[in-house]
Amino acid sequence: MGNAYDLIIIGGGPAGLSAGIYGGRAKLKTLIIDKGTVGGLVNTTREIVNYPGYRQISGSDLMLDFKKHAESFGVEFLRDQVINTDFYQEEKVVKTKKGKDFSAKAVIIACGSEPRLLNIPGEKRLQGNGVAYCATCDAEFFEGEDVVVIGSGDQAIEEGIYITKFAKKVTVIVLHDEGILDCNKVSAERALQNEKMEFIWNSTVEEVLGEENVEGVKIKNLKTGSSSELACQGVFFFVGMIPSTQFLSDSGVEMDQRGYIPVNDLMETNLEGVYAVGDNRIKYLRQVVSAAGDGASAAVAAERYIEELNSFKTNVLLSDKNVLLLFFNALNNESLQFSTLLEEVNNELTENYKVVKIDIATKKNFAQKYGIKKVPSVVLVNKGMEIKRLICSMDKENLKTQL
Amino acid sequence: MSLVHLNSSRFEEVIYHDGAPCLVIFSRKSCHVCQSVVPVLEDLQPKFDGKFGFYYVDVEEDKALYQKFSLKGVPQILFFKDGDYQGKLTGKVEEEDIEERITDVLNSES
Repeated sequence: MGNAYDLIIIGGGPAGLSAGIYGGRAKLKTLIIDKGTVGGLVNTTREIVNYPGYRQISGSDLMLDFKKHAESFGVEFLRDQVINTDFYQEEKVVKTKKGKDFSAKAVIIACGSEPRLLNIPGEKRLQGNGVAYCATCDAEFFEGEDVVVIGSGDQAIEEGIYITKFAKKVTVIVLHDEGILDCNKVSAERALQNEKMEFIWNSTVEEVLGEENVEGVKIKNLKTGSSSELACQGVFFFVGMIPSTQFLSDSGVEMDQRGYIPVNDLMETNLEGVYAVGDNRIKYLRQVVSAAGDGASAAVAAERYIEELNSFKTNVLLSDKNVLLLFFNALNNESLQFSTLLEEVNNELTENYKVVKIDIATKKNFAQKYGIKKVPSVVLVNKGMEIKRLICSMDKENLKTQL
Repeated sequence: MSLVHLNSSRFEEVIYHDGAPCLVIFSRKSCHVCQSVVPVLEDLQPKFDGKFGFYYVDVEEDKALYQKFSLKGVPQILFFKDGDYQGKLTGKVEEEDIEERITDVLNSES
């Protein structure tokens, strides 16, 4: 099947591209599916000054470098949108909007996040007619006009400062008491000193006004409860992000209330062979550098998972002989001694078994599969199906009689 | 198939002189929403080959054009027929909506 891959990565931002680089280098047949142009939200960043090795670069140029790097390792790219998944089988399946099916042994979810909507009257209706979410994209359209910015986080304040390059005045609507902004100190100082910026404290916007185009906003003071109107031609919403994980709602992938995916250090989700990286997972820092780190971790974890899957298939599932699965831990002496004894006993049998040793410290999946809680443990299997469990006695004769 | 780029003078010719039914997306490279809408148009284009034109304007290259239509953001898809402006779609739009609008424009009396 031409649509079968080792690794499928959903999303081509910095996390997905980094996973692609590591997957491709590990000689995994890797496909990155992205609905737009790769790079994701980073493309809207005008200037990146904290990605190691690059003193200053635009977001889109940096992402182009990531993409070329991934391509140099043979990673394939597809422009399409994943709309459905089946992650319960060993062969994971993703279905796309253009009606194609792809399968892979492991899947990395790297679909990022998108701006949160406030869902206030007028917001949706006036999108593109004065309501905006991206300063890089739209600030220029408000040359010499009055603009309102909602929010006080890094993005709101930094983008607000950028908008002053074009707009006559930028009014920032802040939830908090006077002088308190959620953003970093450097940006807060710059904003508070910016002559073109004004602040309305303790307030929120409850409606965007206008027929064809934005004509103003209705502002509510949270302390007094009173409402007032402010004329403007543009409103930029920077009220946080939401993960773009809606398409996973029936996938079985565990998510928190907001749609972020919890993972462990290996970027593993609750489903075997499914990983989540970058902005769509629960994490502390959402930057290109941390996204790249996520991608690397997940791809390495996926590579090991696939390798174990393959070797288990060859050595256990396809084995003509019955197999003794010996679960051990390299740090546990008793399990090592038992391992030696088991080999010895097996060699003395007239009709011996194939012994496959599994270190449960590194191969948790198989330990889980057979419900192994302690070492040593031995399961006798035929083509992977359990026949019986041995009592791991250090008594040679006892062991022999069990076989 | 990528969209045909228009600058100001080509825009005049195609929209007002030729007057064939068409759409023009106003877009920019650094806009991620644009980057997801442009591929949708590229996919739709062959379906309307010879019947409906698909064009692209980069707002960074042609300020005069977006100012003329007093646009307040990208992406915006403007529809034209016989040199007349037929309305627009803004922001993140779905393939079905674009297709529906194209059909409307094609079927409209002019």
